[in-house]
Amino acid sequence: MKYKILKALDVAGLKVFEPIVRLCYGEEPRVQVVKIGKFIVVPVIVFCIFLGLWGMIAPRHKTKYGEVPTPAVVWDAFNGVYDFHVRENTKQDDYRRSGQDRSQTIEQVNAELAAIEPDAAAAHKHLDEVKAEVDASLKAELKPLQDEYNVMKTAAFDARKQREAELKEAADCIKADDTDARESLLASIIDHENKTDADRDKLDELKAKTNTLLAAKAPRLLAAQQQVNAIEEQRMYLNMRLQRLESDNREVRLADAETDLKAIHAEYLTASGPKLLALGKNIVRSEQRLEKTKTAEPAGPWTFFEQIARSLACVFLGFAIAAGIAIPVGILCGLSPVVMASMTPLISLFKPVSPIVWLPIVLIIVGGFYANPDQAWIQPSFLASAITVALCSLWPTLTNTAFGVAAIDKDHLNVARVLRLGFFTRLFKIIIPSALPLIFAGLRISLGVGWMVLIAAELLSSSEGIGKFVWDMFNNGSSQTFAQMFVVVFFVGAIGMFLDRIMIVLQRLVSFDEAPTAI
Amino acid sequence: MDNNDARYVELVNLVKEYPNPYGDAVRVVDRFNLNMPRGEVVSVIGHSGCGKSTVLTMIAGLNPITHGNVVIGAHEVNGPGPDRAVVFQSPCLLPWLTAFGNVMIGVKRVYPHATRAERKQIVEYYLSLVGLADAMHKLPRELSGGMQQRVGIARAIALKPKLLLLDEPFGRLDSLTRMELQDVILGILDRQRITTMLITHDVDEAVYMSDRVVMMTTGPRATIGKILELPFERPRDRTAVLEHPNYYDMRGELITFLEEQDHGSDAADKRRAAVEASRAPGNKAEDSAESEAAKPAEVAA
Repeated sequence: MKYKILKALDVAGLKVFEPIVRLCYGEEPRVQVVKIGKFIVVPVIVFCIFLGLWGMIAPRHKTKYGEVPTPAVVWDAFNGVYDFHVRENTKQDDYRRSGQDRSQTIEQVNAELAAIEPDAAAAHKHLDEVKAEVDASLKAELKPLQDEYNVMKTAAFDARKQREAELKEAADCIKADDTDARESLLASIIDHENKTDADRDKLDELKAKTNTLLAAKAPRLLAAQQQVNAIEEQRMYLNMRLQRLESDNREVRLADAETDLKAIHAEYLTASGPKLLALGKNIVRSEQRLEKTKTAEPAGPWTFFEQIARSLACVFLGFAIAAGIAIPVGILCGLSPVVMASMTPLISLFKPVSPIVWLPIVLIIVGGFYANPDQAWIQPSFLASAITVALCSLWPTLTNTAFGVAAIDKDHLNVARVLRLGFFTRLFKIIIPSALPLIFAGLRISLGVGWMVLIAAELLSSSEGIGKFVWDMFNNGSSQTFAQMFVVVFFVGAIGMFLDRIMIVLQRLVSFDEAPTAI
Repeated sequence: MDNNDARYVELVNLVKEYPNPYGDAVRVVDRFNLNMPRGEVVSVIGHSGCGKSTVLTMIAGLNPITHGNVVIGAHEVNGPGPDRAVVFQSPCLLPWLTAFGNVMIGVKRVYPHATRAERKQIVEYYLSLVGLADAMHKLPRELSGGMQQRVGIARAIALKPKLLLLDEPFGRLDSLTRMELQDVILGILDRQRITTMLITHDVDEAVYMSDRVVMMTTGPRATIGKILELPFERPRDRTAVLEHPNYYDMRGELITFLEEQDHGSDAADKRRAAVEASRAPGNKAEDSAESEAAKPAEVAA
C-alpha cells in the first residue's frame, strides 16, 4: 500500500508529499520531518510572505475602481461569485420544481422572507439613524466653513468693486501728455488683477474643503448601507424565487396553458362561422406554445463556474483540432524529408502569429459558414475561439512529433525491415509508439499554450467563458468586479496547473524509458 | 539428403564495396563463397573489422549487396525478410512492448492465419524455450541484459527462419551468462535443426557451437581464408568437447590463422583506416562490431 501511494505520487509529479506518506508509516521520522520542513513548510511560508506583501502594497495604489484589492477582498469577491452561482442554480431548480416539492419550497421561501423582515427593518432604521447622525455632524462641520466662505466672498466682491471704482477715477483724471501716470495706471491694473486672482484662489480653496467634507463618506454610513444592500439583495432573490416557484414555474404555466386550451376547445366544439376558424387557429397556436413550454429553460446569466466549464470545453475542442492536425502532419514530416522541407517555411511563417491576429480573421471566416448564427447548434464565436486555440497550439505538437518520428532508433526500424512489416503495421507498431513520449511532450506544451490563448480569444470574440467574464468585469468597473478579476487570475492559474499535471501523468504513462509508471 | 538440402544456403561471390570519393571504390568483402547444407551451424571467425558483420548484414538484407547472390532453399533472396532472422549484439527489443509483445509482433507476421489462442501458444512456447516462462510480461527495461538477449533469440527463432543469423549475440554479456546462453541456443539448434551462421571472435565459442568454422582473412578485400571441419557430435556436451583429443589442435589451428592474419596486416592497417573513414555511417550493427577492435586479447584467449 505504502509503495503504491509513493508510486502514485511519483507518477503525478507530487514527490514533494513523499515525506508525509513516509512519516505516516513511521519511516525515519527525523529525516522526514526535516524534509517536510525544507520542501513543504518553507514554500508555504514563502507563499504567505507573498500574500502579506500583496496585502500591504495593494491598498496604497488608488484607481478609478477603488484601491487595488487585498487578498481578503479577493476572497470576499470569490464568495460573492460563488453565492451568485448558487443562487442562479437555485432559481433554475425552482423553475423545474413541481407538486409537493414546490409547495414545500414556497412555504420555506415565505418563511425565509418573513424571517428577513425584522432584520431588514432594523437595518433600514439603523441606516436612517446613521444617516441622520452623519448629516448632523457634517452640517456642524460645514457651518463654519460655509460662513467663512460667505463672509470672504462678500468681502472680496466689495474690495473688487472699490478697486475698480478707484481705477476708473484714476483713468478719468489722467492728462493727455502724462506718460508716467499712464505707466502707473497699467501697474495698478496688474495689481488689481493679481488681488482678484488671489481672492478667487482663497475662495476655491475653501470650496474644495467643503467639497471633500461632503464627498467623504463616513465608514459607519458605508457599513450600514452595505448591510441594507445585502439584505435587500437577499429579499430580491427570495422574491425572485417565489416568482419562479409560483407564476413563472413550469408546472404552473403548463397547467394554465392546458386550462386555457380546454376552454378554447370547449368553445370550438360549439362555435361556427368565422369564429370557428379563429378558434381553430388559436388552438393550434396554443398547442405549439405548450410544447415549447414543456422543454423551455429559463434564460439566466452565465455564472463564473459555468463559464469555466465552457472555457474548458472550448480549450479541449481546440486542443483536439490541433492534435488532429499536428500529429498526422508531424508524422508525415518525420517520415519524409521532402514533406519536412516543404512544411518548414509554412511552419516558420505561421508559428509566430499572435492569437490576437488570428481571431478576427477566423471569426469572419467561421461567420461565413453560418447563415443564421442564432439558431446554430454550435455558436460561431465558440468555434472561432476553438479554432484560434488550435491555430496557436498546434505548432509544439507538430514539431515535436516530426522530431520524434525522425529520430526513431535505427534498431527499431531494422526490426520492421527484417519482419517486412507493411507501412501501416510499421507506423502503428514501431514508429508511433517510439515517438509517443515526444508527441506527448508536445501535446503538453500545446495544451498550456492553448489555455493561455483561449482567455484572450474569448475576451475578444465575446464567446461565453472566462475571457468574457474578465471583459464583463472590466466593463462593469466597480471595486467589486475589480476584485473578481483577481479571482479569475487564481482560477486560470489553478486550472492551467491542473491541466499540465494531467499531461505530465499521461506523458509518464506512455514513456518507456523512464522508471516504471504503472500505478 | 538431396541436392537441395546439401546446398540449402548458397552464398555466391558476395562482394561489398563502399564508394570512395578520392579513388576507386573500397572493396571490403571480396568474393565470399560458401555453401551450407540444411541444419548446419557455421561459425565465421576473424579479426574485428574484417568484414564478418558485413557478410552477415548482406545475407540478412539489411546492407545492399554490391555483387553476388544469396540463395536459400533454391530461392534467391533480395532485401530483408523473416526467413532470415537476425540476433544482434544488442537485443534491439522494442522498449514499449513486453517480452511477449516483442515475440508476438514477429509471430503475427509469420503465422498470419493462426488464431489468437494459437499465436499466444506459439509465443509462450518460444519464450519458455529460452527460459523466460516467468518473465513473459515484463518490459525490456525490467529485464537483465542476458534476459533481453534471450527475448531477442526467442523472437528470431519464433519466425521459423530458414537461416538464423547470429551476430556476436553474446558479445555484451558476462562470461557466465554467455555460457548459459550458448547452451540455450545449442539446445534449440539441436532440437529444431535450424541452419545457422554465427559471427564471433571467440575461438572457444566457435569450436563449441559449430560444425564448421570459416576463418576470414583480414580486410579490406576480406574473404574466406580457411575452413575447419569439426568432428563433434550433436547434441553437444561442453565437457566432451573440451576433452576431445583433437580439441587443442583445432583451437591451435584457429589461433595460428588469426595470428598470421594479425602479423600480415600491418601494411593493411593504413588501408583499413582509410576504409573506415570513408564508410558511410548508419549501419549500427557493423559500427558496434568495429568498436570491438580494442579487444585482441579475447581472440588470443
